[in-house]
Amino acid sequence: MSQKIKPYLLLFPAVAAIVLLFFGGLFDGFLKSLGYFPALGETSFGIAAYNDLLNSEAFWDSLAVTLRIAALSSVIAALLGAAMAVSLFMLQASEKGRSSRFWQRLFQLPLTIPHLVGGYIIVLLFMQSGFLSKLAASAGWIGEITDFPVLVNDSFGWGIILAYAWKEAPFVSLMVYPVLARIHRSWRDVSRVFGAGNWDFIRDIVLPVMMPAWTIATFIVFVFTFSAFEVPFLLGVTYPSVLPVYSYQLYTSGTLADRPEALAVNIILAALTVLLGLVVYYFSKRWNVLKGWD
Amino acid sequence: MKGFPRFIKAFLFLFLFVFIVFPFVPLVLSSISYGWQWPNVLPESFSLRAWEYVLFGSSDTLRAIGVSLSIALIVTAVNVVLAVPAANALARYQIKGKWLVEAILFAPIVIPPFVAVMGIHLTFLRIGLTETILGVVLAHISPTLPYVVRSVIISYNTLSTDWEDQARMLGAGAFSRFYHVVLPHLLPGIAAGASLSILISLSQYLITFIIGSGRVVTLPILLFPFISGGDPAIASAYSLLFAAMAIGTLMGLDFALKRYYRNKKTAAGKTVEE
Repeated sequence: MSQKIKPYLLLFPAVAAIVLLFFGGLFDGFLKSLGYFPALGETSFGIAAYNDLLNSEAFWDSLAVTLRIAALSSVIAALLGAAMAVSLFMLQASEKGRSSRFWQRLFQLPLTIPHLVGGYIIVLLFMQSGFLSKLAASAGWIGEITDFPVLVNDSFGWGIILAYAWKEAPFVSLMVYPVLARIHRSWRDVSRVFGAGNWDFIRDIVLPVMMPAWTIATFIVFVFTFSAFEVPFLLGVTYPSVLPVYSYQLYTSGTLADRPEALAVNIILAALTVLLGLVVYYFSKRWNVLKGWD
Repeated sequence: MKGFPRFIKAFLFLFLFVFIVFPFVPLVLSSISYGWQWPNVLPESFSLRAWEYVLFGSSDTLRAIGVSLSIALIVTAVNVVLAVPAANALARYQIKGKWLVEAILFAPIVIPPFVAVMGIHLTFLRIGLTETILGVVLAHISPTLPYVVRSVIISYNTLSTDWEDQARMLGAGAFSRFYHVVLPHLLPGIAAGASLSILISLSQYLITFIIGSGRVVTLPILLFPFISGGDPAIASAYSLLFAAMAIGTLMGLDFALKRYYRNKKTAAGKTVEE
């Protein structure tokens, strides 16, 4: 008997912690999004917050800007990350591989930089009076500060996109590289026998091999950028703001009436991420991304 | 054929420069600048003013580093204690409803944890957990625990029960089996999970801000007013310090693990010699 319940006892502390702290919080937030605030004497349920939200232009603007930023950041990070992984792989394939490990470590540096610092790096580089603007002025390309495009705290979200692309490209490359590392050296030799040059090899062997892991990595970056707060809080504008920032603005606006709406934004955000997460999970199982092939 | 690797190397070098080195140039320059007007590519004059302020000017910095690190370390220690048994169960036992357990444990990877934290905020307020380190520690558990569980599961998957059976046959009790057989095998996984946990905990802003209500001042909380429109020199110095703290902690952990294995190896060597 004790052997039968042993695994459940082993699981209990961790599961209890997550259920209490995480799902408890989600449920708590859900109740409050329905207007249930016993501390304020509100004990009735209603979907007024959701109604108001879905009828407000601010919510839909925020959703649109969130989707746009997440889509662009993940695509740019995916392209950069793939370029990194493939060039590292080709370097590895062409020599004994000591130095490529060094390169790999260096490329992972942005991963360890906290998001706020990454965001500030983008501010210093891309703001209108930033480093790139100074360089462009010295080179004579622009004459005034205002000639430099507004890329930070802009309503399109370029600053956010740049910050995410910089932070997440190494993540994509980290996800893709182990798959590439499984390509045997002999495959390269065989392809050479058949007369394939390096570019043919990349196009016909390397790209198809990395495609599943690459797609999943891109999706993960999408889900993350869809729901992250710090970078858009620093680099975005007040309106339209991405969903997490919008929720924060509502929550801290001072009027208690906005709180159910803030929590409703959160619940919608959570539901969307679950949906996206299930898509990632389904395809990663189906393509066997994490196990590769034998 | 020879030209290709050289081309790749040149490409990598350029990429590395543009991507890794170049972004830090204005950050470093700004932190040691004393006035830096547009369109000068270099600051007009240099000074260590910002660094002096950040490191010695006020005791806030050291206190914030202390608070950040203690929260990260407590969170990580709790995570390891919770994760090792859970990973053991998930990796080695037949469990009914395994998918549900996994869905629960890994949910905070997908659903943004600030959603749960905002939801629980008023409850924490009522039971007096806001503005306390304990409250912030509790809030940091859900974003970090799933990564530790994942890393330890990977380690458990490569550990055969034969080793423990053998130790049992040699008369080792449950504790010494775990300490001498299982733990050394799990250490790399624990270290990888702990690194992630520390990194994630150190860089939390919103969660700490909501639960700490500005009273639990970690480094990101201290940093934010500066980087959102404060003195650029001080903001840059703080940013570099923050990044160094994250990287330093990871390197420290990596170093400790390597030393552990080296000691282990020499110890094993000695026993064999004897």
